[in-house]
This record gives sequence, structure tokens and C-alpha cells, in this order.
Amino acid sequence: MITRERAPGRAPKVALRRTWRQVRARVRIQREYGAGFRWLELDLPAGFAAPVAGQFVQLLLAAPSPVLLPRPMSVASVQRASGRLRVGFLYAPVGEGTRALSRLEPGNEVHVTGPLGRGYPLAEPGTPVLVAGGRGVAPLLMAAEALARARRRCEFVFGARTSELLVGLADARARLARAGGRLHLATDDGSRGFHGDVVRLLDGLAPRLATPLVLHACGPHAMLAAVARWATANGARAHLAMESVMACGTGVCRGCPLPRSSEARARVIEAGAEAAALKGNPEWAMCCTDGPVFEARELDWDRVE
Amino acid sequence: MSDVTLKRKAVDARRVDLSVRIGPLVLRNPILTASGTFGYGDEYAHVVDLAAIGGVVTKTVTVKPRPGNAPQRVAETAAGMLNSIGLENVGLERFRDEKLPRLRALEATVIASIGGETPEELETLLRALGREPGVGAFEVNFSCPNVAAGGARYWADPARLERTIAQLKPLTDKPLIAKLSPDVTDIRDTARACERGGADALTAVNTFVGMAIDLDRMRSKLGKATGGLSGPAIKPLALARCWEAAAAVRIPVLGSGGIASGRDALEFMAAGATAVQVGTATFVEPEAASRVLMEMRAWLAANGIARASDLVGRFRAEHAQETGMPGAARNGEEP
Repeated sequence: MITRERAPGRAPKVALRRTWRQVRARVRIQREYGAGFRWLELDLPAGFAAPVAGQFVQLLLAAPSPVLLPRPMSVASVQRASGRLRVGFLYAPVGEGTRALSRLEPGNEVHVTGPLGRGYPLAEPGTPVLVAGGRGVAPLLMAAEALARARRRCEFVFGARTSELLVGLADARARLARAGGRLHLATDDGSRGFHGDVVRLLDGLAPRLATPLVLHACGPHAMLAAVARWATANGARAHLAMESVMACGTGVCRGCPLPRSSEARARVIEAGAEAAALKGNPEWAMCCTDGPVFEARELDWDRVE
Repeated sequence: MSDVTLKRKAVDARRVDLSVRIGPLVLRNPILTASGTFGYGDEYAHVVDLAAIGGVVTKTVTVKPRPGNAPQRVAETAAGMLNSIGLENVGLERFRDEKLPRLRALEATVIASIGGETPEELETLLRALGREPGVGAFEVNFSCPNVAAGGARYWADPARLERTIAQLKPLTDKPLIAKLSPDVTDIRDTARACERGGADALTAVNTFVGMAIDLDRMRSKLGKATGGLSGPAIKPLALARCWEAAAAVRIPVLGSGGIASGRDALEFMAAGATAVQVGTATFVEPEAASRVLMEMRAWLAANGIARASDLVGRFRAEHAQETGMPGAARNGEEP
């Protein structure tokens, strides 16, 4: 007979590397943010590690929820208040889960798992250029503030199709003014700022900046692909925050693959398990644990959907 | 009528004996994590005490590493989710050299899930892992709905199942558990074939083949046309398959499919499961397995059932007449 018994109270002598937790949080603020977007702010209990820019959490409505799975949400702000965390999210109620989220009122309970994923490597040397598309502005404002705390000024490129879709522009201006970031606006229709997309704007801006440039971007995948290609062509590094449908958000279900570049594939095959954070799959990176922030050379942008 | 009636006098929850037997393997309690929903264990070790739950069924490992399917791999449906992961895994070598030692250090009872496109691949896996000290049992994944070769269809043939298990049995001294697909005409046929081949236990069931279509793009919501459905949506379906399988064999059955609460787990046990697996619920609540265990213990105590194994098959015994199935013997015990 095989038995597996353990003396009570004896903990295994193994270091546990992960820090995410699932906690109960309360809605603090729920309001319109303009252009169909909403701002949600939660009070999180002590013991929840402070997320960094680019990281996400899994948000789950307390029962009864119209959806089964939690929803990944990029963190848009983190404030500490008497030992607790106030964490903000900018979101659009576009699906059943997010619409249910938009009906929550201050005091309502939600379950939050996090912080998850790898955020922006803001300590990377170079001139920081933050490139935001639409609601992608949120984590990058957080990044601008983190850079300011490290006494680094950033260039902040904010683009959208139209001026109305420059989400929370007044808020962005105010926060960037405090963080000492220089704001550059671009709209596809020319209704505000530079007439054209953020990549054309970068063409004009980059020659005026000290090299090397290090780009941190968040926005639609098509924009991120364009920024990644621009960075590769111009000898800059770029860190792009990707999105994916997810189930677990913790690397377990393997449900959120993104295509690796041939360069990354070769590196994974060569390095195997030694490649830190690459989890050894040469074909696919997982958005949740390998990312959601990826350096441009990690992914095959022709195959990113 | 059942030979055990519900005693209403509560017992002390700490004194409820939760241990169950899967062949020669004694589990400290009936709550396991389902393969593919708990990684290789250490991903959740900081939130679930792996030494306190019944065991961890690891992500199915194949001889060679598999990269898995193209996106999309998951899609939510009403009260459930579809997946088309495609058995992404680190492969035999890394499983043995990196994952198993870590699980051993965490003091988990490990049930290693193995998968193969052919009987020979399964033999290779068992030759390599069959005598590993860190493994308590093997679950053979005969039921993946998402691979082109060696999936649920291939293994739905009772003769192939019986033959393969008979081939595998001598390669290990650990219990062999056959994980069955629900997508067969009669699960009793595959269940009995596994028993005849020498399986020590069954897991009933894997995901159900399902579909979801994005009408705007007229394409599947998954990278492939179909995927495997899991979650609360399948619980009644899985429970019926589990009951049918358990009634058809004398070996223990591990129930699986949509279990998210202590009551869900108890229903499967009443239907004949000796132990249960918590799967998709972990994606919603990482500590789900621990909570299910706590709820099960509390219910048994409140209902005066001092031994979890006393509950196994009680429903089945009462309803054996309905299907003409032998139902008097409880799983894992002599009749």
C-alpha cells in the first residue's frame, strides 16, 4: 500500500516564487470617462502586491455573475492609502462581462486576482518614448509617473482615429504635466494634433531625441505591430503590451498564445529551459505569463491577430 | 435500498475520515485537481496547499514537447468554456527532470497524466516514468478532443483500449487510471474495456466536444472548428456519464466535469465516484480545490457521515434496478 501522509503543521521546504493572490475588493469609484469608456477604482486589501505599469489583474464579479470566467484588465493607476491599495482601470463595456462590471456601484464586491504578468521594463536605459493608442493611454500614464519618480522625463505620444477618441485627454495632460512628460498628439483625421498615425509622428519626433530610444506602447494590435516594425527598422527597442482572450491568466491553461518570431523561436530551442520566462515553448508565447508586455523582437508581427 | 441510511446526528468535522483508495493508492481525501487545469502543480502551490488536497493530476505529458494549437484556444460559452489547447506540454524529459522533483518537494500526491498518439508512445512514457518515486499513479489521457492524432476518437475503440492497457500494465507498479471521453455511444463499453485490460481506475469524464461560431466573421470562435467544453454547463452531463461508468465496473471511478462546490463533488460520489477532480473552477477561483474540500468535509460532518467512502455509490445502489446495472458493490471495495 502506498500512503502519502504528512505530519500536520510541517510546511514543505520549498521557496514559492509567485506573489499573485485572489482577494476580495470593493468598488470605490465607478464613473464615465468619456468616449464610451469608464473608470473603475477598487479598494484592495493589504497583502495584495502593488501592480506595476503593464501588469494586469483578473476581475471577477461576485456571484451572481452573468459570465463564468474572470476578465483580464490592465491596471491604469495605483495609489497607496493608509496601507491599502487603490487600483484604477479604464475599460469599455463592450461585452457581457464588462457590461455587468459597469453596473457595479461603490461598495459592491469583486474578486481580484493579481498582479499578473510582466510589466514594462522601465529601468531600461535610453530615452523613454511612450506610445499610446486610444484607451492604451492608461497604463502608460502610470509608466510616465513611475519614470518621473526615477527622475526620468518621457516623450508621450498619444494617438487615436479622431480627437474624441483621445480618451481622457485632460486627465492625461494634468498627470503628464506633474510627471514632466512632453505630450505629442496625433489623430488619423487631423482633428487634433499631428495629422496622421503615431508611427508617422515618431518619424518626425525621433531625430530630435537622444539615442538609444526605448519605446513603451499600448493600444490596438495593429498599432503595436506598426510601432514594433518602426522600432526594428530604426534601431530602437520597443515594449508592447498585448491583449488576448484568457481563461486562467496565470500560465496554467495555456489558452492565450501569441506567435513567437523566428529569432525568438531559435533562441528558445537553443536555450531550452534556461531561457528565463520563456517557458520553453518555441512556437507560442503565453500572453499572460510571458507578457503581456513583449519586446518587439519576441513576436511574429505578421501573424499577430 | 441503500445499505447506509443518512444519519442526521452531526459528527465533528475534524474527525471525518476523508481518505479513499484508488487501487493500492490511498488518497488523504477525494479532492484532486483535473489535468490541464493546474499546470504542473507549482503554479498554484502558493495559494493551494498541495499536501492538503487529495492529489494533483498534472498536465498531460507526451514523449516530445508539444507547442499546442494556434489561437484562439479558449472561448467562453454559457456557464462554461471551450478549449482547444492541443496538449501543449514540456515533454517527457523536462517533466521528469524539472517538474516532478518540484512536486515531490511540495509533498503533493502526484497523478501523472500521460498522452500518446499510439500505444507505443504510451509505452515509452511508462518505461521512463513507471518507476519514478514521485508518482503515485498514472492517468492515461484516452480522451483529448483537440488533437489530430491519438485523440478521443482514436481511443473510443474498446478493443484498442483493452489491448493498450494490457500492454501498459506490466510497465509500472503504480495504479493506471484511464480517462474516458463522454463522446461515445455508450460509456459502459469503454469503461468495461478498460477494466478488462487491467485498469485500476477510470476518470469520467473529459470535456465534451463543442462549438461556438462568431457570426460576424462566420468563423469558429476557436482556432479549430471544435473544442472541449468544460465548466458548470457540463456537470449534469458528466454526472450521468460518471454514474453509468461507475455502475458498469468494479474498479474505482474518479468523477470529473463541472465540479465547483462541495455539493457537486458529493453528487459525483453519491453517483459512484470514489474521488473527484476540480478543473475549470480553478480558473475562476485559484483556491477552488481547497474550498471544495472544506465544503465536502462540512457537509459530511453535518450529515453524520464519518467516512467519505461510505457515501460512494449510494445513489447508484438505490437506482440499480432502473438500468438493470449491478449496483450493490461500492467502488474500490469488495462486494
